Amino acid sequence: MTRPALLLPLLHCLGGCTSPLPTGGEPTVLHALSSRDGFTSPLLQPLRPACSALVFSGTGYALSAAHEKLLRDFAAALPEGGGGARHLIVGQAPLEFPGSHARSLSERRAQAVRRFLIDQGLPAESLQTTGLGHDAAPAGFTGNSVVIYRQ
Amino acid sequence: MFPLRHLLLLTALLFGMPRVAAAWPDWLRLPGFGRPAAERSPQRLQVGDFTGGTGRSARLGLLKELSSVPDVQVSEEAAAFTVTGHSVGGRVTARVADALGEPVFERSYAAPGLEENLRLLADDLILAATGKPGLATSRIAFVSDRSGSRQIYLCDPQGRDIQQLTRHPHGAVCPSLSPDGSAVAFTSYRQGFPVVMLLDLSQGWERVVTDTPGINAGAAFAPDGHRLALVMSFLGNPEIFVTDLGTNTAACVSETLGVPASPSWHPSGRLLVFSDDRGRGPRLYLAELPEAEGEVRLTPWSTRYGFCTDPEFSPDGRQMAFTARVGGESAIVVKNFPSGRARVIQRGGARHPSWSPNGRYLCYTQHGVLYIHDLLRRERRIVLANHGTITEPRWMR
Repeated sequence: MTRPALLLPLLHCLGGCTSPLPTGGEPTVLHALSSRDGFTSPLLQPLRPACSALVFSGTGYALSAAHEKLLRDFAAALPEGGGGARHLIVGQAPLEFPGSHARSLSERRAQAVRRFLIDQGLPAESLQTTGLGHDAAPAGFTGNSVVIYRQ
Repeated sequence: MFPLRHLLLLTALLFGMPRVAAAWPDWLRLPGFGRPAAERSPQRLQVGDFTGGTGRSARLGLLKELSSVPDVQVSEEAAAFTVTGHSVGGRVTARVADALGEPVFERSYAAPGLEENLRLLADDLILAATGKPGLATSRIAFVSDRSGSRQIYLCDPQGRDIQQLTRHPHGAVCPSLSPDGSAVAFTSYRQGFPVVMLLDLSQGWERVVTDTPGINAGAAFAPDGHRLALVMSFLGNPEIFVTDLGTNTAACVSETLGVPASPSWHPSGRLLVFSDDRGRGPRLYLAELPEAEGEVRLTPWSTRYGFCTDPEFSPDGRQMAFTARVGGESAIVVKNFPSGRARVIQRGGARHPSWSPNGRYLCYTQHGVLYIHDLLRRERRIVLANHGTITEPRWMR
């Protein structure tokens, strides 16, 4: 058996795995990402956003009240438990940030969106994230934002 | 199809869970550690006769190579080392002797051109005389969007010998050269998601190092060349990991809900520095790695500057260069390590510093142009301009 095959179950386990972390008022539970098998990047083909982009300002990664309302409405429009739909959450950061920070910041914002959607009842394994920093821009991306694509 | 070619055995199991420490590691409190090295007077070298058909050109070329090296001084008197040789058809044979006439080394250089042979000889001479690697044969890796997408390139410190290393769909960024210069680790978007790959520069093959869900980015070679520090987010948040290239195992060395990025190694291989934004903008943190099993100790490292990113230790580990925000724009700052004074090297949008192998120079970019900055003479020169927008330079150690 090859090493990847051996490790496959481990990653599948991660999808349902949660990890408590000591924090200062931030979310206390992390939901590990499942395998991104079957997810398509918007860099490979044009994808239509599932809802309006969430625009961030400055260096922040916390969700604003407007973000939360938009995400609540988005989750409410889906059938209970997401109805089997899968979504890719993609973050991007502006050119003014150094590349390395921009990559992590865009991923951190995408993860914040994912956590909120999980709290709204969407299954963790149906939500995948990636941060592009400012390395590449899918068609229609506005920068400094997070976009949710239905897969 | 399984998306991970090389997996990571997850964990904090290897090092245990990290914790925040307030004190310096014991091994950092060495006598004299943190004090900048006293400036030494340059070593004196005498360039003697070079016989043969291209001997005269070889001697003049070697004098030119050595004239730009601050750590050596070409002199006829009181020379600590003398080099003589022979050159025919661009090939060079050199003999180096010390002040007592004892041979230090005798070596032949048979690269296709005289210029390349003289660069190699100059580097060997500098190493013998000063104990520091030379610059002539070093390389700088960088990212440029010249081809329409961001790709990784190499050039020498004069901005010559430019090679495009990657041609990945959707780009390749964030290069890190291995300590022996034989490989480059980088982030690739060729499958549409960021994965960390390794390119062998001599053989030309590439392989995926980490392809986990979320991001895989910011790889930095450890001084031993066998480990990479990088950012992965498959646990549900971006974290700094150290992965072993031989076993494909990884351990989490940060503990944050912030935005960890740009890990970089202390030359001891026992300490990492990285930036992390825990809500007040990016700051620098140190992660002390245990020698075997044990806890990772995390320590904030105060710089007095805001928005600190892209830290890199000097080759002797006594200084740190990083990007900070000064006057509303990014700037290059150098600060003594573990403590001491900090000075702004370049303002006005300069970012992403990387040290030369001898610690005398920094390369960085400013508005897409690649510069080399002489820290002693406090002057800089353009290495490469009009080559697209250049970012993320890394100098080969």
